[in-house]
Amino acid sequence: SRARRGRSRKEMSTIVRRCDGGAERVWQASGGPTEHKFDPYDFNGGTTLAISGEDFVMVAADTRMSSGYSILSRKVSKLHKVGERTMLAAAGCQTDVVALVNTLQTRHRMYVHQTGKGMTTTALAQMLSNTLYYKRFFPYYAFNVLAGLDADGKGAVYSYDAIGSFQRVPFSASGSGQSYVIPLLDNILCHKNRQDPQPPLTPQLAVEFAKEAFVSAGERDIHTGDAVEIAVVTKDGITTETFQLKQD
Amino acid sequence: GEQPFSEPPGDDRSRARSPSGSSSGAWRGMATVAGPGEEGSGGGFSFELCARNAKLAATLPQGSRLPAAMKTGTTICGVVYKDGVVLGADTRATGGSEVADKNCAKIHYLAPNIYCCGAGTAADTEQTTALISSQLELLRLSTGTQSRVVAAVTLLKRMLFRYQGHVSAALVLGGVDVAGAHLYQIYPQGSTGKLPYVTMGSGSLAAMSVFETGYRDDMDEADAVDLVKDAIFGGIFNDLGSGSNCDITIIRSATGLAEERRNFRTPNDVGQLRALYARPASLVPPPGATAILETQVEIFDAQPMDL
Repeated sequence: SRARRGRSRKEMSTIVRRCDGGAERVWQASGGPTEHKFDPYDFNGGTTLAISGEDFVMVAADTRMSSGYSILSRKVSKLHKVGERTMLAAAGCQTDVVALVNTLQTRHRMYVHQTGKGMTTTALAQMLSNTLYYKRFFPYYAFNVLAGLDADGKGAVYSYDAIGSFQRVPFSASGSGQSYVIPLLDNILCHKNRQDPQPPLTPQLAVEFAKEAFVSAGERDIHTGDAVEIAVVTKDGITTETFQLKQD
Repeated sequence: GEQPFSEPPGDDRSRARSPSGSSSGAWRGMATVAGPGEEGSGGGFSFELCARNAKLAATLPQGSRLPAAMKTGTTICGVVYKDGVVLGADTRATGGSEVADKNCAKIHYLAPNIYCCGAGTAADTEQTTALISSQLELLRLSTGTQSRVVAAVTLLKRMLFRYQGHVSAALVLGGVDVAGAHLYQIYPQGSTGKLPYVTMGSGSLAAMSVFETGYRDDMDEADAVDLVKDAIFGGIFNDLGSGSNCDITIIRSATGLAEERRNFRTPNDVGQLRALYARPASLVPPPGATAILETQVEIFDAQPMDL
């Protein structure tokens, strides 16, 4: 073609728009096959925690959203209501978390229209697992913890991996600060490796544990901080409080 | 192994010496320096261990990694004011996304009239500044005069360029001498800039935005300290690699001496935060909480020594 006149086959061109409105053709030597990398995931940080009790469940998550070394927001909620009495706390890639939550909430809404009832916590737990496994080969980058009251009114916490493997557990922590939170709670909540009597777990005590865990995790994990949102789910409803953490 | 760097003659002092040669305890690092008199020595780095480290990483169990060198993350900065120079630094050291040290000191002594802030790999900044500090003292003993800031800069840049950036030390060097107050920025590859205000480290953009807004020529000391403190705070609160406290060092032209203000400001005291909620009682295990599985008592027949 006329544009290529006099140029070797090894040269490629691109049209570059100039800021004055004009355009020019820029030639450069092509060095062979170029690989374009598709890197769809970003890690937005954060830590989540859920503790189940006799007739309640406490779920907490920090409110910092980061990318690399930058803070994108100090006030993003990682707690999402998905059923009447069920909360999903998820850290990881924020866009995947939001997409996942929207999917779950939409499907729950359809369930309510079709059956006239809300989904139970156990049913939601299974639905979340199925939804995650559906994208087994392009996963939701979300570290989920589902918390709610089971059919007997007892607190239920379900812990997930990115592709849907789940298990009911007494407490669960996930996200960037999980390595700091889990050993602490193993000791002070579950009294592992100690033989002094364990006090009964009340909602107030669970909230104290959450604050202690997040303050400690915030000391050592750069992605955890700013504030922690703590929600307590009982048969009477959901109460939320926000506790300020360090902002460094 | 191949020796791509030729050693300048007579520059023995600048080479790191390891007692057992180039393979000593270097499992953490990627390369070691050949000592004098060793097989194939000509100075520079030997990269033999890189292949071995790569093989080692491949044999590790799924999901675990070799530990990363501790980097300081960091916000460091300096400003020249009417009567000297002010240096500032945060105090967080990170290894990956974990805070390894909440209160490390990043402003290093080079000479009574010269101090240096360091960002990058913590070991590199510590050892490089200590080495050059030692060289400056020997030079002072040999010349009988005060160290010049430009001498410190030249010693640092000559060493860093020789290591081609593998010594990951990004420095803000400030001091006063007979020629006035000077502030330099030194990059790991060996280039330098002489400027009235500089910032380095992962929080350098946050700090520089504060400097660009607030810097004026010939500030007085209070304003300069305040500006540096605000710049470091910008890094502490907006950069995840920086945090905790702000250290300040002021070097005054009049005296040729420095005032170190370690932990000049501590805006992130966790004690204050912990006072805001009721801490769980089970944090403090009572005596007897830990099961004693076995008791073994050994008595050492200790006699006091007569000297």
